[in-house]
Amino acid sequence: MSGTAAAGHALDLRGLTRRYGTFTAVRGVSLRVERGQFLTLLGPSGSGKTTILMMVAGFVPPSEGQVLLDGADITPLPPERRHFGMVFQGYALFPHMTVAENVVFPLRVRGLGRAERDGKVRAALDLVQLSPFAERRPAQLSGGQQQRVALARALVFDPALLLLDEPLSALDKKLRAELQDELKALHRRVGRTFVNVTHDQDEALSLSDRVAILNHGRLVQFGAPAELYERPRTSFVADFLGKSNFLRGTVRGAQGGAAVLEAGATRIAQALPDGAALPSGAAALLSLRPEKIAVLAEGEGADTVVGGRIAAWSYLGADFALDVRTDDLGTLRVVLPSWRAPIRPAEGMAVRLGWTADAAVPVEEDAAA
Amino acid sequence: MTGGGHGAGPLARGVAWTTALYLLLPISIVVPVSLTDQRFLSLPYHAPSLRHYANLFTSEAWLGAVWQSFWLALASTVLAVAAGTLCAIGCWRLGRRSSEAVRALMLLPLIIPSIVYAVGLYRWFGKLDLLDRFLGVTLAHAVTGIPYVVITVSASLAAFDPRLEQAARGMGASLGQTLRWVILPRIAPGIASGAIFAFIHSWDELVMVLFITSRDVFTLPRKIWDGINENLDPTMAAVAVLLVVFTVLLLWADGELRRRRES
Ligand SMILES: Nc1ncnc2c1ncn2[C@@H]1O[C@H](COP(=O)(O)OP(=O)(O)O)[C@@H](O)[C@H]1O
Ligand SMILES: [Mg+2]
Repeated sequence: MSGTAAAGHALDLRGLTRRYGTFTAVRGVSLRVERGQFLTLLGPSGSGKTTILMMVAGFVPPSEGQVLLDGADITPLPPERRHFGMVFQGYALFPHMTVAENVVFPLRVRGLGRAERDGKVRAALDLVQLSPFAERRPAQLSGGQQQRVALARALVFDPALLLLDEPLSALDKKLRAELQDELKALHRRVGRTFVNVTHDQDEALSLSDRVAILNHGRLVQFGAPAELYERPRTSFVADFLGKSNFLRGTVRGAQGGAAVLEAGATRIAQALPDGAALPSGAAALLSLRPEKIAVLAEGEGADTVVGGRIAAWSYLGADFALDVRTDDLGTLRVVLPSWRAPIRPAEGMAVRLGWTADAAVPVEEDAAA
Repeated sequence: MTGGGHGAGPLARGVAWTTALYLLLPISIVVPVSLTDQRFLSLPYHAPSLRHYANLFTSEAWLGAVWQSFWLALASTVLAVAAGTLCAIGCWRLGRRSSEAVRALMLLPLIIPSIVYAVGLYRWFGKLDLLDRFLGVTLAHAVTGIPYVVITVSASLAAFDPRLEQAARGMGASLGQTLRWVILPRIAPGIASGAIFAFIHSWDELVMVLFITSRDVFTLPRKIWDGINENLDPTMAAVAVLLVVFTVLLLWADGELRRRRES
């Protein structure tokens, strides 16, 4: 675990496709991860995340496409010649070996000398703070400790790439948050390229430099977390990464980076960033995050204002979550910081909601399934 | 003898005990017979005696048969374990359809009546000059012992997490290293079970031995068989008792292995 910062490798996926009989589990996935970046593959269960990871690791041969490491095609290499570290779903620790024996395994297969082996194992166990547990069996460890053994085992041989398949999904919520931070710190410390798989959006947002969102085996959108959150390209992305309200309207007059949408009697002012255009007269779909809607005080204005009644509300500690029924836009979810909130929510209470023209983004509607 | 958490009814209990007695009585009768003080198969007349056990352990003919059976069983077990384990691992790695066919093929020796098998062996071994040879019997017992190993090893492989193999390969282990350090240690209890059954199978196999041996190879079951046909020497009963004790010990060892694997 030495000489790290520039030790990562760049990974290129080019048109990766995997078919099982007539079923296509992954279709045409292309993306690039730079040296030392943390990539997360995010998608619902069955969207092809594990299959992609297995193709990168070499366990599953792609039906089409290539895997490139630093520009070299490694698609034909068997897994044992790729030198990638991998943390499996459920960890796949060897139950008949102690923690130390598990961690030394990749060094043993490489025929390293005893002294060198011991030093590296000690360093790896220190890295994940498991040195006191070296002589235990995996069955005698908690889930979080097992996960750290799997990490140590995957990192001990200075792998070119670290692959993680849902490394935190088996843990309870609090531990998950803790290990999420540890994983992030670990990534920074070892400076390697990490490819992580998860279906947990918070994990993807907080850990990653790049997120690839998958649905039905397709790459729906690829980019930095904030970019995906702020500029989702489709309604699926907007809904899967965070919560979103969807507003439907007809475009009435679009010019110079702004448009007006009409939904019944409500007029929505919508900014159009980066030369995006909405054809006049067409139907459009907007994604609007709940925290970007304000509850307006008496006499206060906004680019778009809509009235409604609170149909339901809940107190979440830091926030109130309001479901506000409107005439023209259906029910809108509003998240309102509870500290000095302008209103005391009550069921049936009339409220005025407002948001700025750049709060919402136009998204494409995903074809259903 | 009780299922689930329910106590057995009186009927079930009765049937169970009857079955157990039915199975055990013929075996238990040999115990007093082996202690007879007479020179023919009978119950002890004056007092129980150990003379037939003494005879067994001093008779060269009996001891020779014991050792021959032992070495035969050992050799055929080694062959059966090697072939059966490799076959089971191969089928497991191949995956579904093709391996089911191979596995079914490997179980044939269990399904075919041993007398049919023995007749076939007799014709075939005659041509190969394997009749009445240690090697011939070893091969015959090894082949028919393979199914036991395939069954037990397949069972432990079914419980083996295939991701462990992937993990090992992913960390750079060759197929040989994966086999030696990951797969074999995990299925060792299954292999041991299979070995015990293959050993017992050879140890008390008579039908094939009757067909393919005559004078040079003289196993323990064969010696008992000849003894019954020729003279009614109670030493046979002593041998039978020792055979039962030995087999029970092996089965107990198997049970221990299974218990240890589960804990
Ligand atoms: N070996 C396989 N044979 C057939 N179908 C498979 C196989 N592996 C995965 N699939 C299918 O491919 C799809 C994607 O699976 P997977 O990559 O495991 O999804 P994820 O990890 O995103 O939950 C699923 O519908 C799954 O049923
Ligand atoms: Mg998966």
